Order: sequence, then C-alpha cells, then structure tokens
Amino acid sequence: MTRSTLSMFALALALGAPAALRAQDARLDSRLDARTREAVVTIIDSARGVGVPSEPLVQKALEGASKHADGARILTAVRMLARELGDARAALGAASSDAEVIAGASALHAGIAPAALSKMRASRARGSLTVALAVLSDLVARGVPGDTATTVISALTGAGAQDAELLRFQQGVERDIAQGATPAAALGVRAQGAFPAGAPRRTP
Amino acid sequence: MRQHDDTEDMSRDETLERVVQELRRPLRVNASLFDARVMDEVMRAPSGVGGRFESLLRPRTFRVSPLIALAAGMLFAVSIAGSILYVLPSRSRGAPSARGAQSEVARAVSGSPIVEFGFVAPHASSVALVGDFNNWDPKATPLRAASTGGVWSVEVPIQPGRHLYAFVVDGTVWRPDPAAPQATGEDFGEPNSALTVADPGMR
Amino acid sequence: MVDAGVSPVVELSDAALVDIVLRGESEAYARLVARYRDRYARFALHMLGNREDAEEALQDAFVRGYRSLHRCGDPARFGSWLLAILANRCRTAGGRRARREKRFVSAEDRHYAIALDHPADASAWREEIRLALSRLDANQREAFLLKHVEDMEYEQMSLVTGAGVSALKMRVKRACERMRRMLTEGEDAPAR
Repeated sequence: MTRSTLSMFALALALGAPAALRAQDARLDSRLDARTREAVVTIIDSARGVGVPSEPLVQKALEGASKHADGARILTAVRMLARELGDARAALGAASSDAEVIAGASALHAGIAPAALSKMRASRARGSLTVALAVLSDLVARGVPGDTATTVISALTGAGAQDAELLRFQQGVERDIAQGATPAAALGVRAQGAFPAGAPRRTP
Repeated sequence: MRQHDDTEDMSRDETLERVVQELRRPLRVNASLFDARVMDEVMRAPSGVGGRFESLLRPRTFRVSPLIALAAGMLFAVSIAGSILYVLPSRSRGAPSARGAQSEVARAVSGSPIVEFGFVAPHASSVALVGDFNNWDPKATPLRAASTGGVWSVEVPIQPGRHLYAFVVDGTVWRPDPAAPQATGEDFGEPNSALTVADPGMR
Repeated sequence: MVDAGVSPVVELSDAALVDIVLRGESEAYARLVARYRDRYARFALHMLGNREDAEEALQDAFVRGYRSLHRCGDPARFGSWLLAILANRCRTAGGRRARREKRFVSAEDRHYAIALDHPADASAWREEIRLALSRLDANQREAFLLKHVEDMEYEQMSLVTGAGVSALKMRVKRACERMRRMLTEGEDAPAR
C-alpha cells in the first residue's frame, strides 16, 4: 500500500466503512469506467461484508483494466474470484488469514474440492496453509491429477513438512516434468523421496 | 577405537561411495548472470586493489570475455525470452546496490521478503514487472538491464502469500514467466505466472 | 570483445591473471571468476544446501577475493586462497541459513533448466544425501566435502580451514560414520 492509501485507510477506520470504500476507489477511479467501477465496488463491498479479503478483488479489476479488457469481462472475473474466495474461507475456517484464503481460492479454481481444503486444515491445525495450498494449485496447473496432488501434499503437511520443503518439492516436480516426465510420475518419484520406506521422516 | 586412519575405509563402503559419486557431479552456474553480478560489484569498488593502482577514473563498464559471451549466446538460442526468478534476503552490507531506486525502497520496507525478478530479453528496450503487488501498472516497476547478456532484473519487496505477475516488454507485449508455474484463473487473455512467498516468521 | 591488451587464445595462469588485475586491469578478474566459479559453486552448494545461498556466498567470496587480492600471499595458489575465503563465507552463511530458509520462494534452480546444463534431477536419492549432509556439523561437512569431493590432501585442507590435520581427520571420520548411519538406517541421527 502506498503511504497515501495508508493514511486514507487510517482515516477510514476513524470514520467507518464508507470512507474505506472510497480509499479503494482511488485506485479503481482512474482505471475503470464509472459503470464498471460501481458494479465492482458493490461486489467488493458485499465480499468484505462476509469477511473475504478485498485486495485480490481490487487487483483483479486493475489487472483487467491494464490488459484493456471490457467492463463485462472484468466484472465476471471479479465476481467469480469473490465467490471462490468466499468458498475458500468457508472451507478453511473464518480464522484463516487472507493469504490462506487467497491461496485456497487458487486451489479451488484449479479444481480441488472444498472438502480437501477442510481436511488439510484439520490435519495441520497449527501453522499456515498458504504455501501448501499454493503448491497444490501449481502442481495441478502443471497437470498433476488433483486427487493425487491433494493426497501427497496433505501427507507432507501432515508429516510436518515446512514451507521451504514444500516449495522445494514443487520445484523438483516441475523440473522433472520439464525434463520429460509425466506429471503423475514426477509426483510419484518426489513423493517416494519424501517418504522413504520404513523409518519416519522427521518429527513435526 | 581403531588405530589406523579410518577415512581410508571409506573406499570400501558402498553407500559412501555412491554418496561421493553423487556429490562429485559437476555443477554449472548460470555463467552470464553470475559473472555479471560479480563484475558489477568489482567494477564499482572505488579502489579495489589496495592502493597499488588508482582506479577512480576507470570506466565502469564490464567487458565480456569471449567465453562468457559464448555462454550467453547459447543461453539465448534456447529461449528467446526466458526468465530467472529467485529470492534474495534483504541485504545489510555496505555499498548500496547499483540497481536503482527499487532496491532502496525495498530495503526501507521492513519485514517483507525481497524477491528478485529476472527476465532475459536481449533485444528489448524496456521490460516492466506487473502483478497484484503493484496494481498491474507497467510504469510502476521497470527492470534494469544488467551490463551484459540481455538480462533484466529488479528487486521488489513482496508480502508473503500467493501472487500473480507477468512482464511487459517494450511497453506493449505481455509475457508470463516461462519458467514459473502458470496461474490459473481469469487472465483476460494474457497468461500470468504464480509466485509463492513463504512467511519468514512462520514454520 | 577482448580483455585489454591480452590475447584470448592464451590460457593464462592464476599467478599471471592476479598480476594483471593488480596492475589495474580489473576486467581480467572475470577470467578467474570463470575459472573457479563452477567448481566452487559445487562446494558451496553442498555446504549450504541450496543454490540461492550458495550463489550468494560464492559471489561474496569472489568480490572479497578481488578487494583483498593484494593480500593474496602466493598468487600461484589463488585457488586455495579463494577457497579459504569461500569456506569462511559458508560458515557465516550457515548461521543465517535457518532464518533464511523460510524466505525461499521458487526457482533458484530454474535458470539451470533454461541453460540446458542441469542434468535431470529425478532422484530422491539426492534429496536424501542433501538432507543427511545438512544434519552434519558444519566442521564435519566441510571436512568431508574437501576430502572426498574436492579431493584435497589434509595439508592443503589445513591451510584452507585453519584447522590442524589430526582434527580434520577426526572430522572426516565422524562425518563418514554419520553419513553412513543416516543413509543406511534411514533415521534421524542423534544430536551431536
């Protein structure tokens, strides 16, 4: 956030919600036509009303504007993202951080079932799921079957894998795919390495 | 406790033999980028060679040796607009980076990990970074060209979490990061790349 | 492009290059960088466990090498002298590593794919080794790598690390024992 946005936000906190919306407007103002902006702000407003992070929605609208998309398309995108963010928050729990909800929305969009998100939350009650969900999304985007990816990532997080390890795991899979392995095979090899037969890997 | 030098026993141990064989595999660094970064620092040092030679008036350009130029050429034959992405920790060492205003701002922002974005585009006249951390504004975060090799880069503080980004070449051509995971989701016809920044304070 | 006044065809010795750099031709330092870059990157990588840290330590070592080049006692042994600097950098980097791990993002490896140099890394075995190495004490890891990967003699290792020969032999021995145990029994080795 820029300093000017920050001070507007502080002011908004003092004055109440409508002023906070005006703070968002400042960025949307110069980039969207009035009608699109009105509709987008409405979506953002109701999303925030249910605790969904609004920044990704603002950014999605700005992305569309930068890419010269027409208003209808921008609106559809923002609406869809708002729904996915809401579903992710519901699946992950209201106490989830914005970063977790955002990563969760990516996972849902990639086709991961909400129930899988809830299960991951249950298996890793402490610690952020952001990286795990992001890695899951990226693996599926690379062509790894959703069920398989979910199983492996859940197992890794359940076994106490740290964020850095999850990221390295993902990089390893990507590299294998880049070298010609099928996505499922690449995942299998990597998963094999993460869980050597017999002894437990490490304590969480 | 054995009396003789046990390290010599290693050669009879099959496991360690395999380990050593694996560790001996040669590693190759991305030469053009690495060398450019070292020589950037070297050429910036005011009197880097201990007083035996005055270098204040030396030109600050880095001339590429033929070997390095060849390596750079091979790199580009493979990918026309490849990119390199890695994270640097916030630096607290002496000389300020020569990369311009971005890194000064980056150091001023406390807490956020600093991500360095790189893009290889030898024929471009400008490369900009756009993403959900700079309002997708092609004017907000230009990359700086390294002195050699058509490598453009910039350091940016990025908050932990998942982000979308892309590059804009010459002001109009949108390019995702060919080496990064492709982001799914509505992209308005121009694909994005996904970036995951881990939270330094958390597990 | 040709380094000022020097033919690219002639392969110059370390001592000659050091001399040229000290005479003011800083660009010639690039030759030394190119000469030692890959080999020492390997050492740094195995010491620190990830390419990001390894490249930073290596870059740091090269720059320090340049800045204190006039203090290199024997230019013919520039390589060992530089390795000592690098080993030292790896020691100081190791302490920060635990905090920096969490800052990892992505793709410090990706440029290898682009450069086509990186061999296929589909082996989980490598991951095992990397992990086992990371569990060694830094002294032991350093000694193990210098002896069995960089093929150094103990006398040279002593110059590079500053430790005595018998201490180094003990470190190598312990490292071998622990590596063997970790990689055959597959369990976390007990704390040192």
